[in-house]
Amino acid sequence: MNSNLPLFRRSLANSWRSLIAWSLGVVAAMMLYLPLFPSLGGNPDVQQLLDGLPSELVKSIGYDQIAVGSGYTQSTFYGLIGFALLTIAATSWGTAAIAGDEETGSLELTLAHHVSRTQVILERSAALIIRLVWLGLLSAIIVIAMNTPAELNIEPAHALAGAGAIIGLTLLSGTVAIAVGALTGRRIYATAAGAGIAVLGYALNAVANQSDDLDWLHSWSPYHWAYGNSPLANGADPGGFGLLYGLSAALIVISLVALNRRDLRG
Amino acid sequence: MTNVIETHHLSKSFGRNTALEEVDISVEEGGIFGVIGPNGAGKTTLMRLLLDIVRPSSGSARVLGEDPRKASIGIRRHIGFVPGELRLEGRVTGRQLLRHYASISGPVAPGAANDLADRLGLDLSRQVRTLSKGNKQKLGLVQAFMHRPRLLILDEPTSGLDPLVQQEFLSMLREAKADGQTVFLSSHVLSEIQQAADTVAILRAGRLVSVSDIDSLRLTAIRHVRVGVADAEMHAARETIAALSGVRDTAVTTGDGARLTATIEGDIDPLVKALSRFRITDLVVEEPDLEESVLRLYNIAPEESTNEQ
Repeated sequence: MNSNLPLFRRSLANSWRSLIAWSLGVVAAMMLYLPLFPSLGGNPDVQQLLDGLPSELVKSIGYDQIAVGSGYTQSTFYGLIGFALLTIAATSWGTAAIAGDEETGSLELTLAHHVSRTQVILERSAALIIRLVWLGLLSAIIVIAMNTPAELNIEPAHALAGAGAIIGLTLLSGTVAIAVGALTGRRIYATAAGAGIAVLGYALNAVANQSDDLDWLHSWSPYHWAYGNSPLANGADPGGFGLLYGLSAALIVISLVALNRRDLRG
Repeated sequence: MTNVIETHHLSKSFGRNTALEEVDISVEEGGIFGVIGPNGAGKTTLMRLLLDIVRPSSGSARVLGEDPRKASIGIRRHIGFVPGELRLEGRVTGRQLLRHYASISGPVAPGAANDLADRLGLDLSRQVRTLSKGNKQKLGLVQAFMHRPRLLILDEPTSGLDPLVQQEFLSMLREAKADGQTVFLSSHVLSEIQQAADTVAILRAGRLVSVSDIDSLRLTAIRHVRVGVADAEMHAARETIAALSGVRDTAVTTGDGARLTATIEGDIDPLVKALSRFRITDLVVEEPDLEESVLRLYNIAPEESTNEQ
């Protein structure tokens, strides 16, 4: 492998515009929601409004913890807008890494150079990880910076745990997109799989929140692995994080095997 | 003399579709080896097999002495490749893209990329996605040639290039050969192969029809000739050329400006000399039709159609 990671650098150079756009999205969403906490989350009128709604609805959108800073931040950003933003970013980057590149014919030309298929997967996965880590850390930095002015009362270590959760959760969509790209070479399948696992995880979690009878569904939801233990309130959950990051690592291994075994599509 | 490329019973199927069947070729170092064949004959598949982009169904290949499947990726530093369908994209300039390709191939001499771009008339400061098809093709050629690889594998390298640039490309090929580089190129245009290659392999429907040196192929090229002759002389002209050896299918088309048409195999000199006695108002000699030449040459019945992949 080249010591200077040419494919990693190329991936980052190719996507710096989109990375800036996603960063602005994260900043905008957080700056829209977090400053409202003192007047919304802690406000008795809002609590009364939520009490008037069906409890199933409140639970499925995760607004049952909205009265505390960590629950509010979780419900508005990490569980919803931020989750959507980072999932879309991760899926589109993961799709572009293999399937998109293969469909345009660029991958064929890259592989005719001094580059192995293993190196393509590893360097491009690393580029995906670093971009998601950046977006996740950016959100944690904003939470820490807004902690006092927005009266969130979130411990800095727990803010980092929240970043770890959203990074791990959306990385899963990205690595699914990479793996499906490595298996099929088709952009549409990669995107559908990356977005699909996110939607499925969210839906399973929402259904499982409905009753204790359905609680077992939680254990099948990546969304729940990330957020079930309320990382912003309680810190990192080794079990959930282990599942998320372990599964992503396994998907990268699957990608390595798959791409090394098959013909490139013409 | 060592062989840079060697294949043994190399076959490739995609599902039930056979793209390449039992192909044996050997390409000597330092020559220009052309592969011709109609679209779908298996030229692209053959090149992809040599680069380990697709894997053989059976048979084997050796490129620069190694099996592409097992070779260390290091040998690809010594290969320059232009794919058949080059769809370069991205918001990067040509220069940035070339810098990237240089970082994953052999060392590139300072200024080599600029020199090549100048020769081909390519502006490297423009964004790749804004380039025309021809200019993307030029970029593809520059990235293949810039590190002076031992072996150039070029799939339809002149597609999209205008005739002047094609001439420049042919002189790049001659220089590469003079430099000791080996060139393996494909085309469906016979004249291009004739001008450049030393050896020609003909592929048809996945099978190797023949391998021959270029001179034997040139003689058997089929050309279509269309001649405008004054009406009064038409009959005499037709009889004159019909008597020449190698001329067949003479006919007179009627309608707007009558034309004398014929098919000629081999040297056209006798035909031109014979026609010079008449008053010629028009003369068209069409490029030898590759498929027709090949089929006539090897007495193969035309097939309905061939598919690649």
